[in-house]
Amino acid sequence: MSRFKSSYDEDVVATKAWDSLLLWRLLHWARPHWGQFIISLLILVTLFAVQLGGPYVWRLALDGPVKAVVEGGDEATIAGALSHLDLLVLIYAGLVLVQGMLSYLEVAQLARTGQVVIHDLRSKLFAHIQELDITFFDERPTGSLVTRVTSDIENLSELFTSGLVVLFFDVFKIIALVAILFWIDFELALVVAALTPVLVLVSLLFRGGARRGFRQVRAQLARLNGYLQEVLSGVRVVQVFHREERVSKRFGDLLQPYLEANLRTLWLFAFFFPAISLTVFLIQGAALKVAGGQIVAGELDFGAFYQFWIYLALLVSPVRELGERYNVLQAAFASAERVFQIFDTTPSIAAPDDATAPPPPGAGDRVRFEDVSFSYVEGSEVLSDLSFEIGAGQTVAIVGATGAGKSTVVNLLLRFHDPSHGRILFDAVDLRELDPHALREQCGLVLQDDFLFEGSVRENIVMGRESVSEASLERALRMSCANDLVERLPQGLDEPMRERGGRLSTGERQLLAIARALAGDPRLVILDEATASVDSGTEARIEEATQNLLSGRCALVIAHRLSTIRRADLILVLHHGELRESGTHQELLERDGIYARLHAMQFSE
Amino acid sequence: MKLLALFFRRFLAHKRRLLGGLLAVPLTRLADIAVTLVIGDAINSLQTGGGIDAINQALLWLTAYALAQAVFSFLQRWWVVSTSRFVERDLKQELFDKLSRLPFTFHTESRSGDLVSRLTSDVEHVRMFLGPGLMFALGGLVMLPVTLVLLLRLNAGLALTMAIPLAIMGLSFRWLTPRLHASSKAVQEGIGEISHRAQENFAGIRVVKGFAREGQQAERFADASKTNLNNQVRLARERGLAHAITATSSQLTMVVILLIGGRAMIRGELGYGDTLIFIDLTLKLFWPIITLGWLAGMYPRATAAAARVDEILSRDVEIRDPVAPREASGPAGEFRLRDVSYTYPGSEEPAVSKIDLDVPAGSVLGIVGPTGCGKSTLLHLFGRLYDSQGTIQQGTVPLDELRLADVRGPLGYVPQDSFLFSDTWTGNVCFGAAVAPDAERLRELAELVCIDREVDAFPDGYEQLIGERGVTLSGGQRQRTCIARALARDPAVLILDDALSAVDTQTEAKLIDHLHTAGQERTVIIAAHRLSSVRAADQILVLSADGTPEALGRHAELAEGTGWYADSWRRQQAREELEEL
Repeated sequence: MSRFKSSYDEDVVATKAWDSLLLWRLLHWARPHWGQFIISLLILVTLFAVQLGGPYVWRLALDGPVKAVVEGGDEATIAGALSHLDLLVLIYAGLVLVQGMLSYLEVAQLARTGQVVIHDLRSKLFAHIQELDITFFDERPTGSLVTRVTSDIENLSELFTSGLVVLFFDVFKIIALVAILFWIDFELALVVAALTPVLVLVSLLFRGGARRGFRQVRAQLARLNGYLQEVLSGVRVVQVFHREERVSKRFGDLLQPYLEANLRTLWLFAFFFPAISLTVFLIQGAALKVAGGQIVAGELDFGAFYQFWIYLALLVSPVRELGERYNVLQAAFASAERVFQIFDTTPSIAAPDDATAPPPPGAGDRVRFEDVSFSYVEGSEVLSDLSFEIGAGQTVAIVGATGAGKSTVVNLLLRFHDPSHGRILFDAVDLRELDPHALREQCGLVLQDDFLFEGSVRENIVMGRESVSEASLERALRMSCANDLVERLPQGLDEPMRERGGRLSTGERQLLAIARALAGDPRLVILDEATASVDSGTEARIEEATQNLLSGRCALVIAHRLSTIRRADLILVLHHGELRESGTHQELLERDGIYARLHAMQFSE
Repeated sequence: MKLLALFFRRFLAHKRRLLGGLLAVPLTRLADIAVTLVIGDAINSLQTGGGIDAINQALLWLTAYALAQAVFSFLQRWWVVSTSRFVERDLKQELFDKLSRLPFTFHTESRSGDLVSRLTSDVEHVRMFLGPGLMFALGGLVMLPVTLVLLLRLNAGLALTMAIPLAIMGLSFRWLTPRLHASSKAVQEGIGEISHRAQENFAGIRVVKGFAREGQQAERFADASKTNLNNQVRLARERGLAHAITATSSQLTMVVILLIGGRAMIRGELGYGDTLIFIDLTLKLFWPIITLGWLAGMYPRATAAAARVDEILSRDVEIRDPVAPREASGPAGEFRLRDVSYTYPGSEEPAVSKIDLDVPAGSVLGIVGPTGCGKSTLLHLFGRLYDSQGTIQQGTVPLDELRLADVRGPLGYVPQDSFLFSDTWTGNVCFGAAVAPDAERLRELAELVCIDREVDAFPDGYEQLIGERGVTLSGGQRQRTCIARALARDPAVLILDDALSAVDTQTEAKLIDHLHTAGQERTVIIAAHRLSSVRAADQILVLSADGTPEALGRHAELAEGTGWYADSWRRQQAREELEEL
């Protein structure tokens, strides 16, 4: 959609797999949890040391008791060798048990570390997004914001765990193993070291290809599923036009490239695994050749060869995984960039440093609009030079056709936007001098088709406000005529609401919205009346609830109910963003202008 | 199992590829084992003083087996897994064809997300199990006995003892896999909850901010995030367990080899090379055993997925051609409805009822009434999207005695939701046309629906891509494109479902005029909210809120009356006056 800024789409992809600045910021986030990282590293290092122990035991056994006997010995040597072997086996078993425990801790602790950081980051990101301007939300599809707090954050968790920690450790492992191999047998290690780059190269080439391949598969699958969704939602058109054959063929046309993309990726995999194992075999062969020569020459013992052989096997997996880590890192940096882009966005509507507290509640709550104009885009005003006053305890009703600028007035009073010109005063204080939260806490807001959150009825009315006591909740239910409604619900106030209040009727949802506003005992009421028609019983209750909400309070109403309009102290008629008529119901009817026509349109019975 | 076997039959459609692949599986494993044996024997001969010649000889064999292993390993994966991909394609196509033909009531009852998931994740589960799953299972089943026999011959006691930790590992994976699956499902659901809360919050941001509840909502969100943290940690613990079991049992096998093999070596019953064979083969047995355990754990999920796929495939297409269809006769634009009513499945009250109506060919019928009175439902009956009670005749034959092609062929339908495909403008307009209209005809159609200037203004003109990846059309442009699409069929009957609501009144008047003059013989059926759309109709059917007819007449008569029509007409006039201010 054109109104969305495309720059916030998923298309911000970091081209580099390494970005020190981003990394620095990320480490900053990880800092409070450095203890966890240290523990993770300790586990990894210990585990590695224990892993190295096993092959060493083999060496000790083969070059110790076994060698002693193989080179000839009597019963006594054999007995001695056997007990020596038993001791080594015991040590080995001990090492294995420790290794088992550490392997468990490795996985559990690493995941824990990443998830703890991520929980922290995610909660803060969400809280930050919530504080951003309404325009920020209007300009972006909700889905892309949801992606920021879900999959982008998850990619980051990969960065903290399998990305950073394991990557560093894998590199360390490779270096350490190669060093140890050289220590065991220089010549033998040289052969391995010469061939290992082949392994690294195969792995990197493959991962690059696999990443592109997966991307293609995902893209084709998205097209395929997109078309499927489309046909499912337009199945009526397909059937009436009798075009089943045609969509089937089209689907087939999309299936083909999906299949081909899959086959290409499959080919890569089918090629990669044998290529790796073939390279490993060749390395082993070369090692065997060199070792054989040395053994024949008596330069190498079988035990040392065993140790070398098993360490060689340990070397393969971190090398093979290198490419994969690289991919994870790249995805994580792209996500980090998108996440930080949001952290770097600051709300333009916020409390000034020297925010004045809202004027204390008194008898004289009043609101003044002074020459207020507003435009989203420079040059096209949606509201021009609007001035009016809501006196203490008065109700001002705004009427007008769609697009007249009614909601803009409400948005300005709630300080979702600031006026382009002019100012709005709440008890003689400019709204811009107030903390917006403090201002909104004074307001009772009822929106058209009001939003109910998933949670109980009680939660929806109280909305976590500490100021709402059990007594004020009951009062609010009574005043909003929602008592019967709540009593009728099987679980009363604890009845869970489904998505957007699902099972309740429109009218019932309106009553709850009024109760929600009333519960806070607001000083300022902002009401956008619903237009949807409801049955006459509910209508009467809504009318009564509305009166209770408005009476004695300073109120701004986008009015659709005749009863509300009639009782208003002042009616403002907006047309194309301009105040065209104002006065009471009778005055305006007599004038026979826009209001009279609106009235005829909506209320002629 | 029966169900999975049923799906496996689809694999046989690609017989040669599959058989080649299945043959390559054991060969891969055998070559792999051979490599180990060659190395072991070489070491043994070093021990017995065979010298460097034995090594050189062994290297030759090693290279040969390694190459064979690589080739067979490539072929098994390529042939077996690609077969599963071909089957996936066939299955998806078949599912799609079925879905596009299932009656409209089926679609209103099912959630499209659920249908999509059957075509994606369920098909994938079946494919994974029968494709790669089968390959791994077969590999394991070849590997196990061959290795066992080899090791038994080398040293029976050792072979039998080391089988114990391996068996424990296989069994524990069978036990672990469903648990891992349950935990990862919990994690998925937790992430779903996070995304749901975020979605709800961002969508309801005005209420959140209006009540200054950002802090409280952030806490609620943090709760969901915390739950996710706990789920993730639990999953990680189970994964850790799996990892620990693998590591411990593999290492325990090594300990057993050192204990028993070491003794045998000391007694001179086992060479250095033999022990190396034990170690190497044990390592190679590892994955096949884990995979077998994993497959056993996956089995319930695969059968459940197969059942869900099969549920769609075996579903009956209720609305279809009659067994002995009659030929259409009489003008296709003529309809006769007698005591027609329709009740949605699961509903008590009929959506429309007691409809008696004659629609002469070439006439214009308007259908109006309050929201929810059944206008769209009634329109759907003309195309037999639902089977109604009572009779609807097209020409002289009842609809359900005609071929669907004869019922729907003459219709041009413009849906209420202005549904368009993500395709070019031309592609959309040509969607229903038996013969694709040429450039001149396209231009004519665009003029007919008063959209020619706007299409010319598109960056890519008539070839402009529409929808998410292309330009976004306004509501009015969508409606007019839908009308062009219907007209491109040169239909005998044009059905408009509130299809002019987003078009301004002047354009509407021009459009209606065009629709009348474009085809003199054409029957036009218009359901509308805005009464100006039906003003010129030959007859107007007014439905009351319960779906029964309230009045039938011409505009002049109805507007003079006292009913719903006259009332609405007055209001709409007032609105028009206001718009002109």
